[in-house]
Amino acid sequence: MMDLFLQTLANALIQSGTYALASSGLALAVGVLHIVNFAHGEFLMVGAFVAYWLSVLAGIDPIVSLVPAGAVMFAASGVIYQASIRRVLLAPELNALLLTFGIGITLQNLAVLVFGATPRVVHTAYQLTAVTLGPVSVGVAPLITLIVSVALLAGMYAVLYRTGVGKSIRAVAQNRTGAHLVGLDVDRIYLLTFGIASALAAIAGAMVLVRIGASPHMGFGFVLKAFAIIVMAGLGNLTGVLWASLVLATAEAFVRTYVPGGGGAAEAVFFLLIFFTLVWRSWRTA
Amino acid sequence: MRWAGPAALVVALLVPLVPAGGYQQYVVQVATFVLINAGVALAWDIQARTGQLSLAPAAFFGLGAYAYTIAALRGVPLPVAFLLGPLVAGAVSLGLGVVTLRLQGLYFAIATLAFAEVVKVIFKELPLDLTGGAVGLTAPPLLGGHQTGLYYLGLCVLLLVVAASLAVRHSRLHYAFTAIRQGELTARVLGVRVVRTKLLAFVLSASLTGLVGAYATSRLFFVIPEDTFGIGLSVTALATAIFGGVYTTAGPVLGAIILRSLEEGLRMVLREGYLAVYGVILMLVILYLPGGLVSLWNRRARDAAGGD
Amino acid sequence: MLLAATDLSKRFGGVAAVRRLDFHLDPGEILAIIGPNGAGKTTVLNLLSGVFPADEGRIVLDGTDITRLPAEDRCHLGLGRAFQVVQPFPEMTVRDNLMVGALFGARQRSLAEARKRTEEVLALTGLSGRAAMPARDLTLAGEKRVEMARAIATSPRVLLLDEVMAGLLPQEADEMLAVVRAVRETGVAVLFIEHVMRVVRDLADRVVVMDFGEKIAEGSYRDVTGHPKVIEAYLGTEETGGA
Ligand SMILES: Nc1ncnc2c1ncn2[C@@H]1O[C@H](COP(=O)(O)OP(=O)(O)OP(=O)(O)O)[C@@H](O)[C@H]1O
Ligand SMILES: [Mg+2]
Repeated sequence: MMDLFLQTLANALIQSGTYALASSGLALAVGVLHIVNFAHGEFLMVGAFVAYWLSVLAGIDPIVSLVPAGAVMFAASGVIYQASIRRVLLAPELNALLLTFGIGITLQNLAVLVFGATPRVVHTAYQLTAVTLGPVSVGVAPLITLIVSVALLAGMYAVLYRTGVGKSIRAVAQNRTGAHLVGLDVDRIYLLTFGIASALAAIAGAMVLVRIGASPHMGFGFVLKAFAIIVMAGLGNLTGVLWASLVLATAEAFVRTYVPGGGGAAEAVFFLLIFFTLVWRSWRTA
Repeated sequence: MRWAGPAALVVALLVPLVPAGGYQQYVVQVATFVLINAGVALAWDIQARTGQLSLAPAAFFGLGAYAYTIAALRGVPLPVAFLLGPLVAGAVSLGLGVVTLRLQGLYFAIATLAFAEVVKVIFKELPLDLTGGAVGLTAPPLLGGHQTGLYYLGLCVLLLVVAASLAVRHSRLHYAFTAIRQGELTARVLGVRVVRTKLLAFVLSASLTGLVGAYATSRLFFVIPEDTFGIGLSVTALATAIFGGVYTTAGPVLGAIILRSLEEGLRMVLREGYLAVYGVILMLVILYLPGGLVSLWNRRARDAAGGD
Repeated sequence: MLLAATDLSKRFGGVAAVRRLDFHLDPGEILAIIGPNGAGKTTVLNLLSGVFPADEGRIVLDGTDITRLPAEDRCHLGLGRAFQVVQPFPEMTVRDNLMVGALFGARQRSLAEARKRTEEVLALTGLSGRAAMPARDLTLAGEKRVEMARAIATSPRVLLLDEVMAGLLPQEADEMLAVVRAVRETGVAVLFIEHVMRVVRDLADRVVVMDFGEKIAEGSYRDVTGHPKVIEAYLGTEETGGA
């Protein structure tokens, strides 16, 4: 009884690492650029495929590939930003939403065209081994993804709160006009932030590849969950993302374990939570 | 553009009579899909006119489709089952509208998206003998599955949506919808009953979407949660309306004619991934033609008339 | 008394924007509210028109307690309001902007009736020539005019105007003055906020002076401008008015 409980908790913790990584990028873009990037999930998918092909073609371990995956998406998002995003930043917020929606659908279906819709998996030695800690057994691969996620998130916080660049980013997030007045190049900070956010998504994608696999349609589920998380955290609230990831991953894991046939219901939990959080907030503040 | 509507109607009436040789069936089939897409896109647009960007058309389409299918399979007379589509979708949207009506912009969009996903999961998880679970159900066809008859029925359904759209456009509602979209608080101070009006737009749009859903099912003969409630349907609806021109009656219809034909053409070449077209078009229109195709026409008309 | 506010208060966090304010408006009267920037004048109009609820106090319109009513109901009961920060519906034409007020305001009108009303108000406010223009293409003076015209189109019993003449050229301001007078002739009471003292002098039957959310003086233009508290409140602020 207790063992199952602890095992579920361990699974939740691991899952929350991936969620936090995937959502932090989205939260960063919302907080700084004030756009909700619907293509975030597809950026994650791109990262997963970069890692997949590097593994298949060059035999590079997917965990190592998170560096090139992040780099590719960082560069690609720069192009996307310059060509499109920056042009809708001042337009009504829904334009940005529809634009990124369009980008996401395009990427997803291009991936279907190029790679086919079948899911892909990688095989590494550590995917088959597990470490056992008392009653709890955790696969080495998930454990690595958790460690990487924690390290990256810690790194992101360090950059944001301990460096000059981070300070600039936070200044722009708080007050665009003010930051502009004190001489910050707002456009470049937007570009940089969008790049970091997108790279985080791609890295999360490489992590998902190790644990589950890659498919052109994988992004949508993640972006929806990332929405749920950042909405629960409060749009743009980065620290909130961490606990919201934990709460939602835990809720999901427990439903999966304890509700009969809970696999499908676990999905619904997310959307119910997002829905009720939004509605509850709107009625409370009104 | 006075002649455009009647001309389009005449063409639509003639479609099944076009001598297309061996392609006759195919032409009617594509035309039927155009009717379905146009109906969903236009119904979406009616609500968008109040500034509420819904990402839940798939939910109401699916509710209409399932309501028809489940009722028909249980021996309810087909015409009654057909009417249950819009009724069920409308009733559910009333509930959803009441709880979400305080949500603005982005939050509303995300809440409707979450709602649509919840509904999809629910239909997958409901008892198998009710909804057929993940594999769905086979739907009894209307009109004995007669293709041309069903095409004309689809035309009637679309005409109903068009009539609703025109009724909104040429009544007091037009002013209320537009005012709410462009400044909700100002609209309230000018006496517009915002809550009631938004709810009306929501329920009207959802009922019409449910109607199209019931129709589409009676034509396609099956429902599957992943497709019938699929996000693809919502994407198509809003991309179609935005491409043709939002807040107009002609725009979504025009958008559906072009995009769905294009999609069918691509489908012959590509088995998957043709939805990329919708993505690209959405991007291009948002960036370069925010008023959609009809704005090209309106701009010309305006230049010619020197203002207005 | 047509409109009466008693003990009206509103706080924003630590700021008491309006504090225990009492005032009234008689039928057919033109009342001015003046006061330095940030005195709480706009907040009073927001409380009256129902943009947000009052923390305390009561608002009565012609015997009906409207304190807790939503904005649209207050409009239906006869409060018409022009915003200080103009809020035209940008993509609607000037005519359609007015149509919204005419259709849904104090009188629910059919389309035909509203069209008639709209043309009347367009003529009254001198906007007929610009009726077909999208509101976003207007100059500030034009926007202010639409803002006021739209409120008039609702057929209010009380017209609430918030600095509708700020930023206008003297001649434009004079035209607006004439419009307000003409509206009053039709029996509408007017409550207006204004910084331009010449306008206050020429238009107001009575003046309420606010400072830091409180009423510090009330009376005729001559009475209040000679009041020591008023002079003190304005001292050090820029000389107001174009007299
Ligand atoms: N919505 C709000 N939220 C927070 N504070 C507000 C809000 N509206 C007004 N205030 C504050 O309340 C006080 C009164 O503001 P108000 O706009 O009523 O002044 P005013 O007399 O209209 O000034 P002005 O002459 O500059 O228009 C100010 O300190 C202002 O900052
Ligand atoms: Mg003010």
